[in-house]
Amino acid sequence: MRRLIPEGSQLTVGELITLFATYFGAGVAVAVVLVEAGTEQWVVVVFAVIINSATAQLAYVAAIEGGGSTVTAMLSGWLVSTRFGLLAAAIAPRLWRSGWQRYLALHNVFDPNTAVADREADDDTSRRVFTRSTLALTPAWFLGCTLGTALSDRIGDPQRIGLDVVLPALLLAIIWPQMRNATGRRVAAAAAVLAIGLAEVTPGGLSTIIAVSAAGLVLLPETEPR
Amino acid sequence: MTWLNSLVLAIGVYAQRLVGGVAIDADRLSPRWTAVLGAVPLAIIAAVVALQTTTTAGSIELDARVYGMGAAALCAWRKLPLFVVVIVAAAVTATVRALG
Repeated sequence: MRRLIPEGSQLTVGELITLFATYFGAGVAVAVVLVEAGTEQWVVVVFAVIINSATAQLAYVAAIEGGGSTVTAMLSGWLVSTRFGLLAAAIAPRLWRSGWQRYLALHNVFDPNTAVADREADDDTSRRVFTRSTLALTPAWFLGCTLGTALSDRIGDPQRIGLDVVLPALLLAIIWPQMRNATGRRVAAAAAVLAIGLAEVTPGGLSTIIAVSAAGLVLLPETEPR
Repeated sequence: MTWLNSLVLAIGVYAQRLVGGVAIDADRLSPRWTAVLGAVPLAIIAAVVALQTTTTAGSIELDARVYGMGAAALCAWRKLPLFVVVIVAAAVTATVRALG
């Protein structure tokens, strides 16, 4: 595991193992939900890494179970995954500019690997951290989904063992260092307030997208126009 | 979800990542907008954390998760390892749920 850490990066062995364990746990929880919602087991396993967005899948089944049509469910899934497009826009300039790596990397833009890659100072280290953290996430995600599918009858309710806070807790810990300076705290607080404030009045996922404006609202007044 | 629905969903999700990734020419951004773009992941992740802590299916619902995430924040503030943060969050949430 230690050899997986790029020289001079901020990534640690412990973080890499935690990324693996968390995505494994999240995969189990999501697979159980999808199977309970009537998804065939092979579809859960195969599409885990083809869709590469648990939140889009969860939004889709939530909309169906809420009585929505296939079309509205699809739109709600895509609405939720819009954030990956924005994350891709933010991290892409630091990753590969061309070639197959560029298109493979974009497919693998998630929240935690983008966050750990983004905190590196130089782009070369950022790319290597992105690769290593993705190599921890993707197999964990696939294995977790596979196990969750196989054991869905036995696990019962994933919430009983607190699996629903595993992902937000991981993400909170990853962004914590960025919140040690005042600007970071303001961005995070503004985004959280916008997201929660708009949650009830906007369709699923849209409040996250609107919350992105927190980045501009906080940083534009703080930086000098040229 | 059927395999066909899943495939259509997957195509849309990849298209979003692709468009996001190739749409912005970083060399032509002013330093000001580069700073804004740099704060986008933080804003998104903070929003996701806030929503996953306080809402269920689009409505605000404060339950055991709030305790679990409070404990997670405390652990992160004390600079405990990532693994501890995650385990404590799940354990506190599960315990509060079991007691409630």
